[in-house]
Amino acid sequence: MRTTRRTLATTGFLLAAGLVVAGCGSDGDSTDTGSAEAGGEGSSYDVYALLPQGTDQPYGTTYLPPMEEEAEAQNIGLTITNSQYDADRQASDCQVAVAAQPDLIILWPAVGDTVRPCLEAADAAGIPVTVTNSDVNPEDKDLTAGYSGPDTYGQGASSAEIMCELADGEEIGILVVNGLTGNSTAINRRDGFVETVEADCPNVSILAEQPGDWNKDTSQTVTSEMLTSVGADNVQGIYAADDTMVAGAIDALKARDIDPEPLHITSIGNTELGNPLVISGELDGTVFQSSSWDGRNAVVVAGQVLNGEEVTEDLFMPSVKVTSENAEDPEVAPEW
Amino acid sequence: MTEPQTLSLGDTAATDRAGRLRAVLSRRTEGRAVVLLAVVFVMALALEPLVFTAYEVTLGRVALIGLVALGLTAVILMGELDLSVASTLAVSGVVMASVPNIYAGIAAALVVGLLIGAVNAFFVVKIGINSFIATLGMLFVLRGLAFVLSGEQPVRLTNIEAGIAFGRPLVGPVSPRILLFVLVFIALQVFVTRMRVGREFYAVGGNRQAARDAGIPVDRRVFTGFMISGFVASLAGVINTLELTAADPTAGGTVLLASFAAAIIGGVALKGGRGSIVGTLLGALSLGTIEVGLTLSGVQVDIQQVFIGGVLLIAVITDPASLREATANFRLFRRREPEVQS
Amino acid sequence: MNDSTPTATTAAEPEAAAPAPVDRSVAILVWVSQRGVFLFTATLIVFASVFVNGFASFVNLTDVFYRAAPIGIVAVGMTFVVISGNYLDLSVVAQVATSAVILIAVSNEYGIFPAVLAALLVAAVYGLVNGIAVGYFKANAVIVTLSTTYIGLGILRWLSGGSIFFGPEDGPIRALGQVEVLGLPLSAVVLVVMALLLAFMLDRTNFGFTIRAFGSNNEATRLAGVNTSRVVVGAFLLTSVAAMVAGFVLAAFSNTAVSTMADGFDFGALAAIIIGGTSVFGGRGSILRTLLGVIFVSVLTNVLVLSGVGFGWQQMAIGLLIVVAVSLDTIARKVATS
Repeated sequence: MRTTRRTLATTGFLLAAGLVVAGCGSDGDSTDTGSAEAGGEGSSYDVYALLPQGTDQPYGTTYLPPMEEEAEAQNIGLTITNSQYDADRQASDCQVAVAAQPDLIILWPAVGDTVRPCLEAADAAGIPVTVTNSDVNPEDKDLTAGYSGPDTYGQGASSAEIMCELADGEEIGILVVNGLTGNSTAINRRDGFVETVEADCPNVSILAEQPGDWNKDTSQTVTSEMLTSVGADNVQGIYAADDTMVAGAIDALKARDIDPEPLHITSIGNTELGNPLVISGELDGTVFQSSSWDGRNAVVVAGQVLNGEEVTEDLFMPSVKVTSENAEDPEVAPEW
Repeated sequence: MTEPQTLSLGDTAATDRAGRLRAVLSRRTEGRAVVLLAVVFVMALALEPLVFTAYEVTLGRVALIGLVALGLTAVILMGELDLSVASTLAVSGVVMASVPNIYAGIAAALVVGLLIGAVNAFFVVKIGINSFIATLGMLFVLRGLAFVLSGEQPVRLTNIEAGIAFGRPLVGPVSPRILLFVLVFIALQVFVTRMRVGREFYAVGGNRQAARDAGIPVDRRVFTGFMISGFVASLAGVINTLELTAADPTAGGTVLLASFAAAIIGGVALKGGRGSIVGTLLGALSLGTIEVGLTLSGVQVDIQQVFIGGVLLIAVITDPASLREATANFRLFRRREPEVQS
Repeated sequence: MNDSTPTATTAAEPEAAAPAPVDRSVAILVWVSQRGVFLFTATLIVFASVFVNGFASFVNLTDVFYRAAPIGIVAVGMTFVVISGNYLDLSVVAQVATSAVILIAVSNEYGIFPAVLAALLVAAVYGLVNGIAVGYFKANAVIVTLSTTYIGLGILRWLSGGSIFFGPEDGPIRALGQVEVLGLPLSAVVLVVMALLLAFMLDRTNFGFTIRAFGSNNEATRLAGVNTSRVVVGAFLLTSVAAMVAGFVLAAFSNTAVSTMADGFDFGALAAIIIGGTSVFGGRGSILRTLLGVIFVSVLTNVLVLSGVGFGWQQMAIGLLIVVAVSLDTIARKVATS
C-alpha cells in the first residue's frame, strides 16, 4: 500500500540521514568511546565540559580552539556541551555528563545560583569538578576542585576603577549600557561596576541605564535615547558592559556631533573592535578578557586535578586594564 | 429465493480480529511518531547505547520537554493555541521562590498557573480574540512580569535543602521530576480518553458549532483546557525551580517551541480534533532521546540544531495528510497545462 | 485601507430617540476600531511631544526611525504570509542574521556584488523551502518555519563560527549606513519604498488579490482554479527578500554582523502586524496598517526608554497593547454585527 511504502521510505531516509550526521558530527570532537589519540603511551582521560556558550557567541568561539588544543596536548578526550545560558538545559546536560562517568567535569555555570544540584550529583558519583570563567557561589566552592577564569564581577569593578580615576573627584553624570537582561555575565558586571562606583567614587552618578543586549545597533539606539532623555549636556561619561556595545555608544555620540574624546568612556573586553578605539582615544579604558587564556587554563587546571595535584588557589585571569598607555603593547593584543 | 446480499463497506467489512485491529490502528494518529521513535531507538542502540543504560538521564530530558507539551496538547486538541506557557513557567518559578515558606510557595505558584489559564480563556471565550494573539500578548506580559517581580535576576529559594532533596532519585534511579511527569501523563490520558469532559475536547476541536449544537458547553471546556495548560506549565516551573534551587526569570526559552514540536511529531493536529496524549508522549520521547544521544555522541551543538530542525521538517512534511496534499498539488500543477491546450 | 467595511451601522433610520444614540455610539466604536492604530499612534505622538522631554527633537525622531526600519522591513514583507492565513514566518530571525553576516563577511573577502548575490541565493532557498512545505505540503507554517530556523541558525553558527564580523571603517557598507536623504536615514527611506512597493503588490496585482482571497477562504480560492500553492510560495519568497533587505540595513547601520543580531524579530514583527490591525485569521489587513503598527511599537518603546522605564515593564507594555488592541477590534466588530 502506498502509505506503507511511504513510511518505509521515510524510515530509510531518516536512518540514512542520522548515520550521516552522526558520522559528520563526531569527527570534530572525540567521543568517550574513542580510542586514545596518537602518542598512546600516556593514559588518556575523558572529560566533559559543560559550557553555556560556544560558537553561538564570539567569546565562546575563541574560547574553544585553545581549549581543544590544550586537551589534545594533554591527551584528554573532550566532550563539549552548550546549554545556551538555559539553566534547566545545563542541569540536564550535567545529568548526561554524570551518567557518562567521565574522569572529570569542567563546569562553566550558566546561572551560578543553580548549579549546586549538579555539583552534588557529581560528588556523589565520585567525579571531580573544576570550574571555568564564572565561579560558583562561595558556599558551593567546597564541592569543586579548582577554578580558573576572569572574574566577571571583578571586570565590572576594574572598569569602574578606571572611571573613578578619570572622574578625579568631580561631580559627573554617566550613562550605563548593560548586557542582555537576565544573563549572568551581564548581572555580575553591572553589580561590579555599580557597587564599586558607589563605594569608591560616589561623586559619579548614574543618570540612566538600559540594556544593549550585547548588540552594537541596540546599544547605539538606546544610548542616543538616553542622551535625549537626560539631556546630552548632563552626560560626562558612558560605561558599557562590553566593547561591542561601547562602539555602538560612541557611534551614537558621533551621530549627534558630540566628540567622544572629552567624555570618560569605559567598557570591558579589549576586543578587535575595542582596542583600536582605545588607541584612537575615543575609548578611555577597557579591561582585557582573554578568551584563549580562559579556554586553555580550563583544561590546565583540569589536568592538574586529574594528575593528582593539589589545587588550592583560584587561578584568576589577570583583569588587565587597557588604557591609552598600554593599548599598543603586544601582551594586550586583542584576540576576538 | 436467494439470500439478500449484504454489502460490506469500509470498517464493517473487517470482521476477523486482524481486520478489526487494522481498522482501529489506521484511525490512530500516532503512526508517524511510532515510526520515528523506532528509528531513533534503533540508531541509539547502534551508536550510543549509553542512552538506554543511563535511562534516568534520558527520561529526565524527556520530562523536561514533555511536561509542558502534555498540558499544551489539551489546548491544541480543542483547536486553540497557548503560546504563554514559557512565561507562565518563569513567572510561577519566581513567585514560588519569592515566598519564604516552600509549601506556600508551591501552592502560590500553582494558583498563579491556574489564574493565567483562566485569563487566557477569558480573552479567548468572552472577548473572542484568536487564541494565538491572546496568548502571544500574554507571553510578553508575563515575561515582563517575571523580570519585574524578580528584579531581572535569579531568585534563590529560601529553603535550598528542600530543593536539593527534590532533585535526588526517589524510586530507584528515577527522580521526582520523572515521576511527576508520568503522573501527569496518566492523569491527562485518563481525562482525555475516559472522562466525558475530556473526550468532549475532541468534539470541540473537530467542529465547534456541531459540538455546541450537541449540547456541549464549549466555553466551559475551553476554560478547562487553558487552565490545565497553565497549571501544567506552572508545575514545570515549580519543578525547575526546586531542582535548580533558584528561579530564573529567563527560563522557558527553549521549552515553548520544543513542546510544540513534540506535539506535532506526535500527530496532534494544530487545527484541533485529532491527536492524542500518547502521541505527544511519543514525540517527547523521540526528541529527548535524540538530544541526549547527540550530546553523548559528542556532536557539535550547531550540528545538533540542524539535525533536530531537519527531523522536525521531515516529520511535519510526511504527515499523511500533507503527503496526500502534496501529490494532489503537484499532480494538479502538472495536469493543468494539457487541459489548457484542449 | 483595503479591509471589509461593515455597512449596516450608518444606515439606521433615526425614528425613535432610544435606538439613535445606540447606533451612533456603535458607529463611533466601529470607526475607532477601524482607524484604531492610526488614532493610537497619533495620540501617543502628541502626548509624547508635550509630556516627554526631548521626544519631539529631530535627533529623537531619527532614533525612532532607526528602531523602526529593520524590523519594519521584515514586518511589511511578512504581512503577506499573515494575510494568507499562515500565521507567521519564524525563520526571519535566521534569515536577517544570515543576510547581515553574508553581506559583511563576503564583501570583506570578495566585494559587495558577490555578497548581494549570495544573499539573494540564500533568500531564495529559504523562501522556496518554507513556501513549498507550507504551500504544497500544506504543513503548518509555525512548525515548518521553526524547523527552518533551527536548521538555518545551526548552519550559520557552524559556518561563521559564531564570530562578530566587522566591515572596514571606510568601507562602502559603512558609507551606505551613513547616507541621509533629506535628513532622514537611508534605512527609513528603504522602509518607505519597500512599503509602497509591497502595498502596490498587495492591492493592485492579481497576486495580492489572490493572497487575500486565499486567506479569507482557502477552499473557495482553490476551487476557483487558482494555483494557491504557488501563491503561498510567493508570499514566503517576499518575506525572505524583505528579511534579506532588513539584514543589509542592520549591517549597514552598525557595520557589524553576528548570528544573534536578529533575535526577537519573529514575534516583534508579528506584534507590529497584529497591533496594526491585520487579522491572524487571514484575509483582512494591509501594508499601511503594518507600517503604522511598526511605528506605534517603535514610538512606544522609544517613549518608554526616554522615560527611564526598565526592560520588564517595556515587555509588559507591548503585551498589553497587543491584547488591548485586538480586544477593542474584536468587541467593536461583534457589536457592529449584533
